Amino acid sequence: MTLLAHAITGEPPASLDGEGLRGRPLRWSGTGDIGLWSTRWDPADKLDRNDALEHHRLVERICAAQPCLPVRFGTAFATDEDARASLSTRADELRAALDRVAGKSELAVTLLWAKNSGSDAPRLADPAIGPGRRFMEERRARYATREARKTRAAELVECLVAELSVERSLVWHEMCTSDRVAVSLAVLIPSERATERKAVLERLASRFNDVVGVVSGPWPPYSFASIEQSGGAAPRRPTGPGAEPPTGSAPQSRS
Amino acid sequence: MKELTPADASLLELVDRLLHKGVVLAGHATISVAGVDLIYLGLNVVLAAVETIESGAQGPGGVASRPGARPPAPRLS
Repeated sequence: MTLLAHAITGEPPASLDGEGLRGRPLRWSGTGDIGLWSTRWDPADKLDRNDALEHHRLVERICAAQPCLPVRFGTAFATDEDARASLSTRADELRAALDRVAGKSELAVTLLWAKNSGSDAPRLADPAIGPGRRFMEERRARYATREARKTRAAELVECLVAELSVERSLVWHEMCTSDRVAVSLAVLIPSERATERKAVLERLASRFNDVVGVVSGPWPPYSFASIEQSGGAAPRRPTGPGAEPPTGSAPQSRS
Repeated sequence: MKELTPADASLLELVDRLLHKGVVLAGHATISVAGVDLIYLGLNVVLAAVETIESGAQGPGGVASRPGARPPAPRLS
């Protein structure tokens, strides 16, 4: 039997009812002034999409009760001692991350290229020209389209960040992650203002003619829970001062 | 190929966060997804597709070691 991790919180643990994933008991493993919420899990039981979404609902429930750091779905520990040891080795960073996200939620903005954005497909070369030149011209057209999209995506990010008027360290984004996605952006906002800020984001996203905006959340601060770098870096590209300017380079392809 | 709709985008954003964001802790167990051993949990890489581990350059622990590489999302059923 293993422990399937959900979220890290401070001591004392909130009073939550005992149900974890698939109705199994929710478990608290405390060490020092932090601890981990998890579900006892048989490794032979395979995780599926419903489990991922139920993990999300559990994390939402925990975060509603006390400041919490969502743990990446699928993280498991062989024993309670393993879980505590993993927390203990990074206790300082985890406490700092908990302080950073306390009272905050995440909103997500996805900008999808509109079908009439004029850059859905590169213009094909004149079929009357030779195959070699046609190949080169089509390749050049595809490259130009890709570069134009990267440039436009960077403009969209800058526009959103400027209009949001939030600290830039609270915004993370990716651009051109697929043919359809122009921008995927996350912003950390005070939970009590989530509804208001979501409405602002929806208005902003609807202003653009060449993209369709989708605003999601609020949900737990998944994108801002990383403790890999000091200051709580998330795997997304920072938009803050001192960060690399957005280049629009596509991240690794996803399967 | 299915067109990505706004509703899809919202769900994909959430699933992306569940699988690629959040605190990464060093777990010590292996759990499979949807009948295929797609998720490898262990060492310091919590979620990586086994196919990536097997096909990529492998470090001492069998973990794909391409710097900065983000593992592909496991396919959920």
